[in-house]
Amino acid sequence: MITDELSAVPGVSSTSEQDYAAKGYHCLHEASPGSLPALAAIFRQRGFHLEHLTCLDMRADDDCMCLVYQFNRQDVPERHVIHSRLAPGEAGTSISEQFIGADWYEREVFDMFGVGFDGHPNLLRLLTDDDYIGHPLLKDFVDADPQRDVFAVDAKKDGVANEAANE
Amino acid sequence: MSSVPGPAMELVRDDEDRETYYLNMGPQHPSTHGVLRLRLHMEGERILSVFPVIGYGHRAHEKMAENRDYLMFLPNTSRIDYLSGMIYNLGYCQAIEKIMGIEVPERTEYIRIIVGELNRISSHLLWLGTYLLDLGGITPFLYCFDDRERILDILDSISGSRLTYCYGRFGGVTMDVDDAFLESTAAFCSYFHERLDEYEDLVTDNVIFRQRTEGVGPFSADLVQRFGLSGPCLRATGTRRDVRKDEPYGIYDRLDFEVPVGKTTNGDCFDRHTVRMAEMVQSLHLIEQAVRDIPDGPVMAAKVPKKIKPPAGDYYFAVESARGHFGMYIYSDGTDTPFRIKLRTPSFAHVSAMTEALVGTMLSDTISILGSIDIVIPEIDR
Repeated sequence: MITDELSAVPGVSSTSEQDYAAKGYHCLHEASPGSLPALAAIFRQRGFHLEHLTCLDMRADDDCMCLVYQFNRQDVPERHVIHSRLAPGEAGTSISEQFIGADWYEREVFDMFGVGFDGHPNLLRLLTDDDYIGHPLLKDFVDADPQRDVFAVDAKKDGVANEAANE
Repeated sequence: MSSVPGPAMELVRDDEDRETYYLNMGPQHPSTHGVLRLRLHMEGERILSVFPVIGYGHRAHEKMAENRDYLMFLPNTSRIDYLSGMIYNLGYCQAIEKIMGIEVPERTEYIRIIVGELNRISSHLLWLGTYLLDLGGITPFLYCFDDRERILDILDSISGSRLTYCYGRFGGVTMDVDDAFLESTAAFCSYFHERLDEYEDLVTDNVIFRQRTEGVGPFSADLVQRFGLSGPCLRATGTRRDVRKDEPYGIYDRLDFEVPVGKTTNGDCFDRHTVRMAEMVQSLHLIEQAVRDIPDGPVMAAKVPKKIKPPAGDYYFAVESARGHFGMYIYSDGTDTPFRIKLRTPSFAHVSAMTEALVGTMLSDTISILGSIDIVIPEIDR
């Protein structure tokens, strides 16, 4: 377990061991969004990989968005879940430098929840169209125009997005 | 996802006055196995950079999960990855059973092994056939689909569907299997052992096939870690990771099977092929044990709560699908509707790794590498 090393990182406010048999993971950490690159660097060095990254829309109860990171060891299972709470409108910090696989997960969170990531090289929508309005996995999401013609888009704008993507 | 496909090809003169161009491979190209679009920046036949465009098959499964209760989400699970639908369907049941502490009857556990492993073989067969088709060999495709059809018939006889099974229930399976099912499964196993030998002769030892795969698309340990690859792509690099062994679910810990790995630490396309071929042998071995030892008894747990209300908190449960590590991150707020279900699918990580793995290769190798990782697009887009 690398719990001691992780809890020494500034910004990690709490660390608790979990019941693996019931929960499916070993450790839960609460960390500030800014501490994630430092945490990711430790995970990278100690032979972990990013299993997934997602977000929870907790604005109704706790007035925050909660990013969820999950790391697991490459050789034997040792699963760490990190909750990182953001005030509404606040951006997370990208860890795509440490784990390039986070690139797509962060784009997905941006697409689905509207949460930005500072330092992300290419924060475009991933699953919906470039000109899609709204963020579907927000709890208060209402589709602005369900009958929208997806092909009637501004081709010029799409070209700009593509060029940005290629750089 | 970009909605306008743009021209199929456009020429760009770059800073060094090289004539490079962008080529759109997909979203309708047969070798992208569904609606995946790769925007390739190329110089001649060589790939300079890759920008995969996904989302054409996005059906909002995760949003759907938040609008219905846990049981109503069950039919969705086999639509996520339609080639190993049984594994996903049973995996979701096992996740809920674990969270709710539901004890599953012994007979059900054996049935789940049989149908799950049959499904894994059928998925690998489809991969083998279409991979060879990508590389220009049509004959193996017909062989594989013939054999796959036999599995689909067997699974159809108990679940009523050929592809999008909804056979699992929380606490068991929908209906018991009869002796005819067990006999036809055993007959398939003995038949398929011989067929696998034929495949080895036909495909694995084929000199053209080996030239198209050996040394093509090696994945380094570093790439595997940074992108979080799993399944046969990971095992081809020599890492012995399999959820069935590491975090056993069902009765996998009581059955005897091995986890095949690639021969080198730089798993290439050929290693991924040999790993999947060896996995089919292990799956057959698992099925034979389960058919031999299956006990009599009920197939549904006696006590299953009518309303599934997991205690508030987050849970993670993973199964080994045909493509790799499929995980469900379930966040419950204590009500009978999931607050959030995040579906961690293996192909998502595999396709994102293509942005790095394809750079510097030739276009024809791109087809080979893309085929060798065995992607299912609906699983990426969810």
